[in-house]
Amino acid sequence: MNLLEINHMKKGFDGLGVIEDISLTVKEGEVVSIIGPSGSGKSTLLRCATMLETMDDGELIYLNEKAAWSEADINGSHSVYASKADLKRIHKHFGLVFQNFNLFPHYSVLKNIIDAPMSVDKVSKKEAIARADKLLKQLGLEDKRDAYPCQLSGGQQQRVSIARALALQPKILFFDEPTSALDPELTGEVLRVIKELAAENMTMIIVTHEMQFAKELSDRIIFMEQGLIQEQGTPEELFSSSNERVNEFIGKF
Amino acid sequence: MDIGKMLTQLGSGMVISIEIFLLTLLFSLPLGLVLSFGRMSKNRIIKSAAKIYISIMRGTPLMLQLMVVYFGPYYIFGLKISAAYRFTAVIIGFALNYAAYFAEIYRSGIESMPVGQYEACKVLGYSKIQTFGKIILPQVVKRILPPITNEVITLVKDTSLAMVIAVSEMFTTAKAIAAAQTTMVPFVVAAIFYYIFNLLVALVMEYIEKKLNYYH
Repeated sequence: MNLLEINHMKKGFDGLGVIEDISLTVKEGEVVSIIGPSGSGKSTLLRCATMLETMDDGELIYLNEKAAWSEADINGSHSVYASKADLKRIHKHFGLVFQNFNLFPHYSVLKNIIDAPMSVDKVSKKEAIARADKLLKQLGLEDKRDAYPCQLSGGQQQRVSIARALALQPKILFFDEPTSALDPELTGEVLRVIKELAAENMTMIIVTHEMQFAKELSDRIIFMEQGLIQEQGTPEELFSSSNERVNEFIGKF
Repeated sequence: MDIGKMLTQLGSGMVISIEIFLLTLLFSLPLGLVLSFGRMSKNRIIKSAAKIYISIMRGTPLMLQLMVVYFGPYYIFGLKISAAYRFTAVIIGFALNYAAYFAEIYRSGIESMPVGQYEACKVLGYSKIQTFGKIILPQVVKRILPPITNEVITLVKDTSLAMVIAVSEMFTTAKAIAAAQTTMVPFVVAAIFYYIFNLLVALVMEYIEKKLNYYH
């Protein structure tokens, strides 16, 4: 089943096109990495897919439910979003892990993880804590349960934010450059967690600069530039591509 | 006049001062928050109205505002004003004035919050009210505590302005006794009262700041 379907997404800021025309389908269990130079539109793609930004035109579909569709107007066409209630339901299908974590500093690690399930999904406190403890164990953070984000290293904070996203049991998890704010030593521990999730068949879309990681982990790699998908395929296909620009970009890393 | 009688009279003034102080905070802190929402509103009319209100409240003397609130109903609407309205007028005047200052403090705190906190809430599915109540406001409170302390300390001393519409708070009483008895003692007592009051305010605020220091 297709968990995510994006059709002809377009997005510009102040008349400047950032995403020109992107279509993308992600199947259940698939791990897709998005690579490309800065300013290529990959973060904007992620922000539009997670509805932090509204796209100008195109279709956005999660699990066959339309979050947005294209409607004709005098200038061509534009996106129309589903009702608030529908979007609220569709929102539950996905989670997002930010580059700079965005943990809630006034909440303990445990509270960061249990608060959304309790106040958004109305999960009982007991159930929320059970979920959190399982995640903390899985991510090697049991001893940080009662710590506050400011007491943790960057890598630990990022793992907590992954746990926070997973606690809502999303079908699909987005990562926006999850290791870019970390020094190389801490990068490894976060990448290891993402690999473990991949092994458990979690569907993931990862914007990253870690080429080796993308190569090892992904079912598919997408190379973006100038707001378009320039090339996509399995890691083998992409790393043996005849596209000069792709080779140049990969070669830099 | 013996010192005991003097202290009794000053004491009832102190109670009035403390009442003005507490009631002003009770009304102006929430009112300031509402006003700061208006100030940050996307609706241009609401935003301008809040901006003008804050500008006038901060740009004119509180003493004058108290007189307008007290005498306004008579001069503008021809209503008969009773002596009992004095105290109410003081509370209205103070609350309206301090709300303007608090609104700007709230605004500075709210606008200093990183956008990532809002985005995290949005992705996790929090409603707007949950986002503000659970995630934003508690962090804003920590950020704005020092400027709030400043305002609260000023408020303690400003309560003496109630004198202009003859509300017998601490300072009004002290001045009356001093004039009648030709003595400095009431002023000394008043000074000690305000000083200790503010010392307590500072201690309480310091305690709250420390309580919130568990994270940064």
